[in-house]
Parts: sequence; structure tokens; C-alpha cells
Amino acid sequence: MQGAEILLLPGVMPRLLQGLWVTVWIAAVSVIVSVPVGLLVGWLMTLKNPVVRVLMRIYLDFIRIMPQLALLFLAYYGFARWFDWNLDATGACVLVFILWGGAELGDLVRGALQSIPEIQAESAYVLGLTGWQSFVHVILPQALRRLLPASVNLATRIVKTTSLAVLLGVVEVIKVGQQIIDANRFQYPDGTLWIYGVIFFMYFIVCWPLSIVARRLEKRWAND
Amino acid sequence: MTDIDANVSAGAAKGAALSVRNLVKQYANADRRVLDDVSFDVPKGRVLVVVGPSGSGKSTLLRTIAGLEPIQGGQIALEGKVIETGKPGSEKDGRSARSSELRTHIGMVFQSYDLFPNKTVLGNIMMAPLLVQKRDKAEVEREALELLGKVGLADRKDSWPHELSGGQRQRIAICRALILHPEVLLFDEITAALDPEMVREVLDVVIGLAQAGQTMVIVTHEMRFARAIADEIIMLEDGHIVEQSTDPERFFTEPETERARQFLRTFEFERASHDQQ
Amino acid sequence: MFDWSFVQRYAPFFVKGMEMTLFISVIGIVLALVVGLICAGVELAKVPVARQIVRVYIEISRNTPLLVQLYFLFFGLPKLGVVWSAETCAIVGLGFLGGSYMAEAMRAGLQAVPEVQRETAYVLGFTPLQSITRVVLPQAVSGAIPGIVANVIFLFKESSVVSAIALADVMYMAKDLIGMYYNTYESLAMLIVSYLIVLLPISLIGTWLERRFDYARR
Repeated sequence: MQGAEILLLPGVMPRLLQGLWVTVWIAAVSVIVSVPVGLLVGWLMTLKNPVVRVLMRIYLDFIRIMPQLALLFLAYYGFARWFDWNLDATGACVLVFILWGGAELGDLVRGALQSIPEIQAESAYVLGLTGWQSFVHVILPQALRRLLPASVNLATRIVKTTSLAVLLGVVEVIKVGQQIIDANRFQYPDGTLWIYGVIFFMYFIVCWPLSIVARRLEKRWAND
Repeated sequence: MTDIDANVSAGAAKGAALSVRNLVKQYANADRRVLDDVSFDVPKGRVLVVVGPSGSGKSTLLRTIAGLEPIQGGQIALEGKVIETGKPGSEKDGRSARSSELRTHIGMVFQSYDLFPNKTVLGNIMMAPLLVQKRDKAEVEREALELLGKVGLADRKDSWPHELSGGQRQRIAICRALILHPEVLLFDEITAALDPEMVREVLDVVIGLAQAGQTMVIVTHEMRFARAIADEIIMLEDGHIVEQSTDPERFFTEPETERARQFLRTFEFERASHDQQ
Repeated sequence: MFDWSFVQRYAPFFVKGMEMTLFISVIGIVLALVVGLICAGVELAKVPVARQIVRVYIEISRNTPLLVQLYFLFFGLPKLGVVWSAETCAIVGLGFLGGSYMAEAMRAGLQAVPEVQRETAYVLGFTPLQSITRVVLPQAVSGAIPGIVANVIFLFKESSVVSAIALADVMYMAKDLIGMYYNTYESLAMLIVSYLIVLLPISLIGTWLERRFDYARR
């Protein structure tokens, strides 16, 4: 196949891998911060306080109904003007992914917490555990088991969504690919096919194992 | 009748609605036989009750008769005509390829959840006679309403399954099987999933059927009900017939085998402890 | 501070953009449903070789971002002699992405039908075709609807990415206006309102459909 040589040019693969590293890094930071945010949001959603409930509902529904790209625009262009924040593109991405991941995880946490039968809390109460002990030792461990597969799934989605960062100008794997294509436009006109092919494959290699792990966990823990 | 007679397996009793001979059931990759050399006859109009501990093969026996599971040995005959012959090596096969028409001759009611949730009560009952037997709609509806009346649910004809109690659902499942006029009805622990106060309303319907002369094979854990309804009784354990009797009263009071005595005692212990409270 | 005259002047742009968004999404979603139905059918019928192909397709489609799929279709494929318009690429991309999600939703619906339902149909004498059309499918649809509705909303939102291959959808309009006039507030507000106007009703219709087909709640 002609044009494939572009992949063998010195520096091309290392640069693409560096770009991939940026992608993975953004995704990893977002996922890691999403977990505590999600736990907090989920806990807030189980509260009886009507104000908290309505606020959480609006937050969750808005995040869910808006396309992620629109959210990225809001953060990148909007926040800078509204709050005088000077968010750079990477910061805007991480912020949006955390808010998004936190909302999705929060809803999962709420579902998981509410799915634990009341009898579990009652048993803990009758055994004399305090409210906090009951939450930490009885409810939370059971909820986390139900939560883990969905969280891994969410990580896959965040990795895929990270691709949108290029549209804000973040220099991640796609941007690097575009730079390589542009630099070799005349020498390797067919490089486009190969570079995008490799990027396609790279995303697959990162996401696929996560999907498999999520499926395994789901199968193993689905029934208890 | 001669060609049918030629079909009769060796030793099947004349006049039996259902004959099972040397039936063998084995699953793929399993050494143990789930059913091993099981033989019995159910004369027309009689009720056979199958009892035994869980895992003894009772449900599997009904499923092989209904054609839901292939058999690896022996024969099953309906009204003298062989409908199923065991084939070694058929462990992985699916349901029997018996004809739609033949399937309507053997009715079955499962433990639970077998009403079609997307059909009303009447829709559930009328589906098979219309689709399979191609009967006249007005006639089928008349019969369906009559059956519903008999089980005391005439007023629920337009209800959806999810609006009904478990006991009501099972009574409707019985109507749905009855409307096809099956030669034999199979009941697989039809009250096992019910709340105790609903068991009675279902069992009363079954007792009514027995009095009307419906041939039935019943798998149940309700020993008092078994004693009241059985004409014949079989006790299964580990796929074998442990005890077989045409005198149920005797089986329940003085069983012949030690194993049957032990089995029946487990129920008495339960009752004794209740009496003390 | 908020320039209403700007909104009045440029609202028609967003209407135009929404037309493009709707056009791409609706056809893309229909394509996704067709692809999903074929895949679910192949898996249900256990067609030998096709089944493996469907598996591979589902894994690839679910584990790569739409943006990269679009770039590959729009910039990569022409090098192989396949030149598609941006609209075609967007629709094919959505269909390729959505097909696997729809297939999974349909399969989940089929798997949710208890085995005893098929057994009952068999014992009552239904032919295999009758069993599938009268008993299994109606229940499978009710099980698949929530997933399908979620996928429709998901694909509609994903369509915002087509602005990246220069299709003038709502997203593209917003970016354009911000770039040209710096009317960030107004443009972003119109962007949000555009999506809310379309996605809120879809989400409400979806909830209604779920109720309508949920036999256990109706």
C-alpha cells in the first residue's frame, strides 16, 4: 500500500504516542476526579432537602441533555467571559469531563444507594451500628460493587469524548496527527488515510480493554 | 385402529391416556442420568401425582412429556400412539420437533410467569385456539368466558396479567391450557411461587378438574393436596422411581419403602412443630 | 449587556443550523436502527460467519470516537478513491456508531423475555414463527424501548460533532458567530436554547413511549 511509509518516518509514531498520552492523561484525571464528585452528587441526590434535590436535578438533566461539544464551548468561551476565568482549552476539557462524569456517576451512585434493601440499614441499626458506621461498613461496600462496572464504562466514554478536545485546539493525538499530515502533504499525499487509521486503532486499543473489563465485572456482579 | 395399535410400544397398558416406558434423560457433559428407566401409565380420567425431594427429576419428567426436552432412551405414548422415542446422543438437541397439533393434546402449566404480559386475560386464553386450532372466534370467546366463569374470574376478562394476583394468574393459565381440550394436563408445582393464602383457590380449581374426569399429571409439594387428589402416586428420587402405588391413601399412611417413609416424615415434622405453637 | 438585536438578527442562522442537525440525525438514526436490526437478527439466528463479523463491528464501533470515525471517512477514504460528501459521511458515521448501540439495545430486549414464555408458546402448539411474532417480539420491543430511546438522544447529541467536517449545523453556527462577532453570550444562549427546544420534547416522547410499551406498568 502506498503512503504507509509515512508511519515509518522518524518521529511520527513517537509523536502520535505523545499525543495519545495527552488524551489518556486528560481522560484519567477527569475519571479520577469524577469519582469523589460523583459520590458527593449521588449522596446529595438521596437527601430529602427539596432545594438540594431540585438543584441536583437541574444540574443532572442539563448536563445530560446537552451535547458534550456544546458543554465544551460553554466552558471554553462562556466561563472565560462570565467569571473572568482564564481557562485554557485543556482546563475547559477537564472541567467539563469532571462535571459530566460527576453527574453520570452521581446518578449511578444514587441508583446504587437506593438499590440496597432497607432491611440492610435496619439490620445494622438493630445491631447497634451508628448511622455513619452503617453507611461505611454496610451500605457503601454493597453500593460500590454495583457501581464499579458502570464506572469503568463511563471511563471508556470519557476517553472517547476526549477526542473533542481537538476542536478547542488542545494538542492531543488527533491534533498531532493533523500536524503530521500537513507537514507531509506533498511528500505523502495519502498519509491522511494512514494517520487517521492509526489514530482510530489507538483509540480502539485504549477503549476495548476497558469495555471488556466492564463486561466481565457486570457479568460477575450482576446477580448479587 | 390397527395402524395405531402397531405403534403401541411393548407393554403399554390398553386404555392408558399416557404411557411412559423406560424413559432416560441425560444432559450433555453429565455422567448422572436425570431420569433413569422411568415407566408408568396414567389411565384415562385419572390423576397421577409425582412427589419427591427437590432435584429428583420431577419437573424434568413433565418437561420431557411436554416435548420441551429431548429424551435419550425409552418411549412416551399418548392414547396408545408413540409420540416420543429416545435417541442416544440427543442431549444437546432442543425441543422435540412434534407437530403443533400434537402439542395441543398435552397441556402444561408452569410454576409462574407464563401468562403473556402483552395480552389481556381473554387474549391469553384465546390465542392458541385461534392461531393453532383455527377455531371460530365467536365460539372460542364463548368457551373462554365459560371457563373464566368456572374459575371465578369472569369479571377479569379484560384485565392485564400485571393487574392480577399470582393465584388469579395461575387460574387463567389453567383456562388457557383447558380451552385446547388436551388429553393430558401437566402441572409443574403450580402453587410453589404463590403466597399461602392463594394456594387454596388454585388447588380448588384442580380438584374440580379431577372430579370432571380430566387426566392429569401433577408435580407438587403440597402433601395434603396430593393425598386428596391422587388416584395414583409416584415417588421419584435421583431420577429413579422409589415407590409407585395405585393406592395413595396407603402410600401416605404406610409407605412400603424406608425412603418414602423418611420423605413423608419431613412434612410431618413441620406440621408437628406448628401444632406445638 | 445581553444584545437582543443580535439574537433577532442571527436566530434564523440557528434555525438553518437546526435543519441540518435534524436532517443528519434523523437519517443517521434511521440508518442506525436498520443496522442494529440486522445485527440483532444475525446474532439471534446465529448465522455462522456473519455473526463473527457483527461481533467485530460492534466492538470497533463502540470503542472508537465518532469524531475519529468521521475524520477517517471524510479525509481518509478519498485516498482509497471513495469520495463522499460531508453529509454522506456524517450520516454513515452516525449509522456506523449508532448501529452497534441499537443492536445491543435490541439484544437486551430479546434476552429480557423469560424462557418460560417461549416454552409456553411451544406447549400451546405455536409454530416457531408464531412464537416469535406473537410472543417473543412484542415483549422484546417493550424491553428494548428504553435503550433505543436513550440511543436516539445519544445519537442526536453526537451529531454535534459533524460541525468538525464543516457541516453547518447548530454547533457550527455558534462557533462561527463567536469567531466573527465575539457575541459569546448571545451565541451560546441560542446554542443552548436550540438543543433544548429539540431534545426536551424527544426526551419527553421517549418517556411516554417507555410507559406505553411497558406491559408491567400500563
